[in-house]
Amino acid sequence: MKIKVTFFIILIFVTFVSFVMQEFGLIYPSYFPKPQYDFSKNPVDSFKITLGRNLFYDPILSADNTISCASCHSPYNAFSHTDHTLSHGINDQIGNRNAPALFNLAWQKSFMWDGAINHLDMQPLAPINHHKEMGETTKDVVRKINASNFYRSLFYQAFKDSIATGERMLKALAQFQLTLISANSKYDMVKQGQDSFSTQEQNGYALFLKNCNSCHTEPLFSNFNFANNGLGLDTTLKDFGRWMVTKNSTDSLYFKTPSLRNLSFTYPYMHDGRFKKLSDVMNHYTNGISQNKYLSKELTKPIILSSKEKIDLIAFLITLNDKHFVFESKYQYPKN
Amino acid sequence: MRLIFTLFLLTIYSSISAQINESIIEFAPTFNDLPLELNKNYCFKNDSLKISTLKFYISNINLYQNNQLIDSVSKKYNLIDVENPETSSIKFLRTNSMAFNRISFSNGIDSLTNVSGAFGGDLDPTNGMYWTWQSGYIGLKLEGQSKLCPSRNNAFIFHIGGFKNPYNSIQNVNLSTKGDRKIILNLDISKLLKELNLTEIYEVMSPSKKALTIAQQFSNAIKVYE
Ligand code: HEC
Ligand code: HEC
Repeated sequence: MKIKVTFFIILIFVTFVSFVMQEFGLIYPSYFPKPQYDFSKNPVDSFKITLGRNLFYDPILSADNTISCASCHSPYNAFSHTDHTLSHGINDQIGNRNAPALFNLAWQKSFMWDGAINHLDMQPLAPINHHKEMGETTKDVVRKINASNFYRSLFYQAFKDSIATGERMLKALAQFQLTLISANSKYDMVKQGQDSFSTQEQNGYALFLKNCNSCHTEPLFSNFNFANNGLGLDTTLKDFGRWMVTKNSTDSLYFKTPSLRNLSFTYPYMHDGRFKKLSDVMNHYTNGISQNKYLSKELTKPIILSSKEKIDLIAFLITLNDKHFVFESKYQYPKN
Repeated sequence: MRLIFTLFLLTIYSSISAQINESIIEFAPTFNDLPLELNKNYCFKNDSLKISTLKFYISNINLYQNNQLIDSVSKKYNLIDVENPETSSIKFLRTNSMAFNRISFSNGIDSLTNVSGAFGGDLDPTNGMYWTWQSGYIGLKLEGQSKLCPSRNNAFIFHIGGFKNPYNSIQNVNLSTKGDRKIILNLDISKLLKELNLTEIYEVMSPSKKALTIAQQFSNAIKVYE
């Protein structure tokens, strides 16, 4: 009897372990690829994560102490911003792009819709210094943090030194964001053999693999490369995406392929938030592709989906929603 | 007795400091052969100008005896900010006693550092030498005003950087030195500004062909002070 129980426990343990990887304290499923982030330069530490979480939710990072990172990246929207097609910053100013969801950032090679930022550490410099986002300067934010007793002790715990520097602030913000791992959707449960797809979802999965997986590659649902998915230019924004970074005209209207996890929480869709519903997105891929010169080759052949197939494909996309991620308390506003 | 003791301490001290073997590389920017002063009005017959900011990175300083690498400066990245005179001197300890007669260094920050996330000290982004809307260090900041500039407030603003080809702006400088204790490097800003052609080019703030040219002109302006 006792042997049986032990055997059973070991069995459970082995199945569990085979789905879980640990990388410098980050837990993620074994079917995820290796992270891109170089943890050896910023080893994960619970005090640094706590510091980063406090900074992420603190409007001290903005010029008039009104806007925090979470103002545009809300935990309940998988860290995106749903009310606005374009981001909404300091003094009610409207930016040029939709605030993307933040999760599984450790696997991304570049950041922003156009990949202008090459490292997660450096990303916060963009919103902090943008006159329409947080309207601050890096130097002044660090000065304000150094004047706060609250942060002095958090910095001490994290870095064994109470002084805030730009480097430390950035590394702590990166650490909190690296912990935002979304891997608990129905799709993940199916992958781990703990759930199964309905016929409709299964059918949608097949359609997905045929039409979408080349760019929105599972299990992260993006290859994080840039693509031109046939969205016509919005002439009021004149946003040519990647072209403006590489200055290479063949990158015209190329944007970073976003992950398709958590779509129910992250509407509106695309870099300018032009689509409110997933059905709008379906119609774009079947009937709306603008045949511009640099359209990605995966989309030059028309995608044909019946209305039933569109519904099936959406049903599959819904299995990528991760409620555990969205309601996870350790990601939310810190209650100290 | 006390005097002897003091003398004794002094001799020990001087012999130690001789062994420590400190050298110094000092940047001395000039304007028309006089030390450059920030925010001073310089008047000419067809221009009146002032410089408000001059900041740049000097990295990976190597020391040579003829063509043989014999030593290098341990602090790899040095930010020189004319506003803080103490940053103009790079002091370093020699690791051997071989004399050097040539130095090499880079203007700007190497590409590996540009893609490796946050760093502190002279590389900390609070120094204002990192672009915010795209990744990359600014190797050189030169800002001011000149009557020649058709811009608002006659301002000129050069933020020179870029670590990717074809606009990799990092420049290698190679100079023969006379002594090896104190090397004074001159930077003739008046000459540089003449070359820059402020009537046409007064705003360069991202990696580009113009930025590359300015990076080259800037490093050519660095000379060993005779
Ligand atoms: C005013 C709204 C706003 C604020 C405040 C804001 N962001 Fe963003 N964030 C955006 C927008 C818009 C983008 C996309 C920008 C682009 O593509 O040019 C973005 C992009 C990002 C990305 C890149 C995601 C990806 O997939 O490439 C990260 C990471 C990020 N923000 C983190 C932060 C952090 C950390 C803060 C606080 C320091 C912050 N944001 C503050 C709106 C905001
Ligand atoms: C050629 C590569 C490519 C293919 C194939 C592709 N996409 Fe996309 N997808 C993209 C890119 C790039 C974007 C972002 C475009 C933008 O915002 O400008 C995107 C955006 C999306 C978005 C919006 C996500 C968000 O968070 O805003 C959805 C949803 C989406 N795609 C679903 C699909 C579906 C479903 C398919 C298959 C029918 C598909 N995609 C096929 C490249 C592709």
